[in-house]
Amino acid sequence: MKKLIQFKNIVKEFDGKLVLKGINLDIYENEFVTLLGPSGCGKTTLLRILGGFLTQNEGQVLFDGQEISNVPPYKREINTVFQKYALFPHMNVYQNIAFGLKIKKEPKDIIEQKVKRMLKLVNLEEYADRSVTEMSGGQQQRVAIARALVNEPSVLLLDEPLGALDLKLRQEMQHELKKIQQEVGITFIYVTHDQEEALTMSDKIVVMKEGEIQQIGTPTDIYNEPVNEYVANFIGESNIIEGVMLEDYKVVFEGRRFDCVDFGFEKNEVVDVVIRPEDLDIVPKAEGKLKGVVKSVLFKGVHYETMVETKVGTEITVKMQVSDDRPVYNESANEKMSANDFYLDMEDVEELDDATIIARADAQAWNPDADELISIKEVQYTIKKENGTYPVTFSTAAGTSVTVNMIVKDENRVTSTENEEEIFAVNFYKKADEIQESIALETDLKTWANASAWSLEDGTAVEISHVKYAFDPETVTPGIYDVTFATKGYEYKVDTTDKYEVGDVVGLSFQPEDIHIMSKGQ
Amino acid sequence: MRQFRSMVYPYVLWIAIMIVVPMLMILLYAFTKEGNSVTTFRFTLENFGRFFRDAVFLDVLKRSLVIAVFTTVVCVLLGYPIAYVIASGPEKSSVFWILMITIPTWINMLVRTYAWVGILQDDGLLNHLLGLLGIGPFHIMYTTFAVVLGMVYNFIPFMILQIHTSLAKMDKSLLEAANDLGANRLQTFLRVTLPLSLPGVLSGITLVFLPAVSSFFIPKLLGGGQYVLIGNVIETQFLTSGDWNFGSAISLIMAIIIMLSMYLTRKVDTDPAANGRRE
Repeated sequence: MKKLIQFKNIVKEFDGKLVLKGINLDIYENEFVTLLGPSGCGKTTLLRILGGFLTQNEGQVLFDGQEISNVPPYKREINTVFQKYALFPHMNVYQNIAFGLKIKKEPKDIIEQKVKRMLKLVNLEEYADRSVTEMSGGQQQRVAIARALVNEPSVLLLDEPLGALDLKLRQEMQHELKKIQQEVGITFIYVTHDQEEALTMSDKIVVMKEGEIQQIGTPTDIYNEPVNEYVANFIGESNIIEGVMLEDYKVVFEGRRFDCVDFGFEKNEVVDVVIRPEDLDIVPKAEGKLKGVVKSVLFKGVHYETMVETKVGTEITVKMQVSDDRPVYNESANEKMSANDFYLDMEDVEELDDATIIARADAQAWNPDADELISIKEVQYTIKKENGTYPVTFSTAAGTSVTVNMIVKDENRVTSTENEEEIFAVNFYKKADEIQESIALETDLKTWANASAWSLEDGTAVEISHVKYAFDPETVTPGIYDVTFATKGYEYKVDTTDKYEVGDVVGLSFQPEDIHIMSKGQ
Repeated sequence: MRQFRSMVYPYVLWIAIMIVVPMLMILLYAFTKEGNSVTTFRFTLENFGRFFRDAVFLDVLKRSLVIAVFTTVVCVLLGYPIAYVIASGPEKSSVFWILMITIPTWINMLVRTYAWVGILQDDGLLNHLLGLLGIGPFHIMYTTFAVVLGMVYNFIPFMILQIHTSLAKMDKSLLEAANDLGANRLQTFLRVTLPLSLPGVLSGITLVFLPAVSSFFIPKLLGGGQYVLIGNVIETQFLTSGDWNFGSAISLIMAIIIMLSMYLTRKVDTDPAANGRRE
């Protein structure tokens, strides 16, 4: 195959911002090439430079071996299908398609012949006389393609042409575009941010990020052997785990040695290990290479997306004392009020303010008829930085008041350190009806227990993703219950056809060729 | 929405008093004789007969139409390139130029026309400047040239604004598409830009032709007493001769001519699209 287009070190900047940072790319004859990347990665800019609508600041564009940077668009053997089609609204379908041929002053009968053929190619034979403004998005799209192809260009540029269409139409058009490309046998350069489109249609995918090419390869190459985390995440879904490459074909992750097909890394190099969700199988736990617990199951149509946790996160368990105290009722003001005792850690005493006390005591006043909350006007307390029980009184403007205890003790704080994370929570009191009425119990439990977690490496907050408890919130009775908070451990996304139940203990199995190793920090 | 409907009534009343009633009065006056007194109506077609029988009036009508058409043509030929240049520049500069074109219209038209008298008269500014260069003096005041100049000056902003609007709202990717399909700049202009800006040109024509054909103070100031256009005739009938009936009849004739020309303009306006569907 012959090199048709060569980009040589293309640099483009807009207002001092580098949009393309030295692109080198060869495109061959009859290829379907896709420039893939998120918006702002420079893919459209590259396409417009090739179309002649922009000029690069540095570098060369060769077409068939000839430098074309100074050739105006209308003299290039390249046609474009624009993002929003850019059909001429004052012309009908036939006139739109014939536009390029009329400009070239081709004889009328030849024009008619060619336009008819194009209408047939894009399945719009009956629409020749239709005004383009009366057509659907999909039809306009076909007109735009026909209008470009009728000029018999050597290259067709397509700038996110399917972006405005709905899912079903988009899938139809993907097949159709591929068919058209094979039929006319010219180079298609296709720009998209949709990885599915890229995988479906392309002979070659160019993954771009922030003005640089990340990887060039066939769809299977890019999918199976992504060069870095960015590509792996952009193309399809993947599980990325940190590992160490012991030697060629041997990798360690999750504390075990696995065979793999990758080589060429340094001894003991720290690497990212990629395993695609569809390459993992769930097997009985004794047969698995890794063992874990099913955390969640999502139905995705053709498969279930099952999350399996192989290593638990950092956990902490606190005591929740449930009481069934009734709210105070102030008949004269028709107000009800409630609050509960709460534990305070010694270190919290200094930072205590009214808002914190109201939140921790969950103090509320309301009108029982209107079911409207009433603001708490006064919070009265004295506290010392010593172990002990300190009363606090909340009252409203109408004089309704409730007194509860703040219990200061140094052993209320529970911390746990594992996985370079620390998690913290305190024991707490709660009333049974509040647990029953909670609409987001897990979030409420986190607030009541003042639970938080952070990384010991850099102090950043870590999400508490699991809240476990053994009581039924609907029918909870007074007593003492355990509540466990945990951060996320190692989780694998697995695509399965069978449905597993949350809590199942399972094994994960995979083959050496399912493991893809990527260098870190590329 | 329903509860606001009653708020429309004041406007309806206003429109009735300020537009409908005067129109009906003109209609009534045009078809009556000595109707200045409301009690003594006598219906007649004599007012129209008088106009069409008299060669002088027909000449005036012809001259008015010729000057209005000429003014409109000059406005299109001058206004289009100006609007095109403004629209193709960057957004900021086009806002500036549109403002520059609009600012003079904030000053009373009569005052600005008087200014031209000072510039154009035999010992005016223009001849003075030309004299410094050793050219002239030219006799410009009270010629057709002066009248057309005054009209073009006064009415061209409407043309530029209309054309600019239609050019500015045009999708720029259409120009790229034409370029991409092999059209050079001239071909792109002729086949895409021009046809798509025609609606703007047509509404510009309407906005220039209407005031041009009925203007009376521009020919009066710049054309002098002897340069009579139809607007002047109507003015004279009402203000000098006191023949309201005849004046109303001429107004009615003008109104019909204008309505006819607007109707024809609309027809041309919708034609390109219709053509598009037929071929």
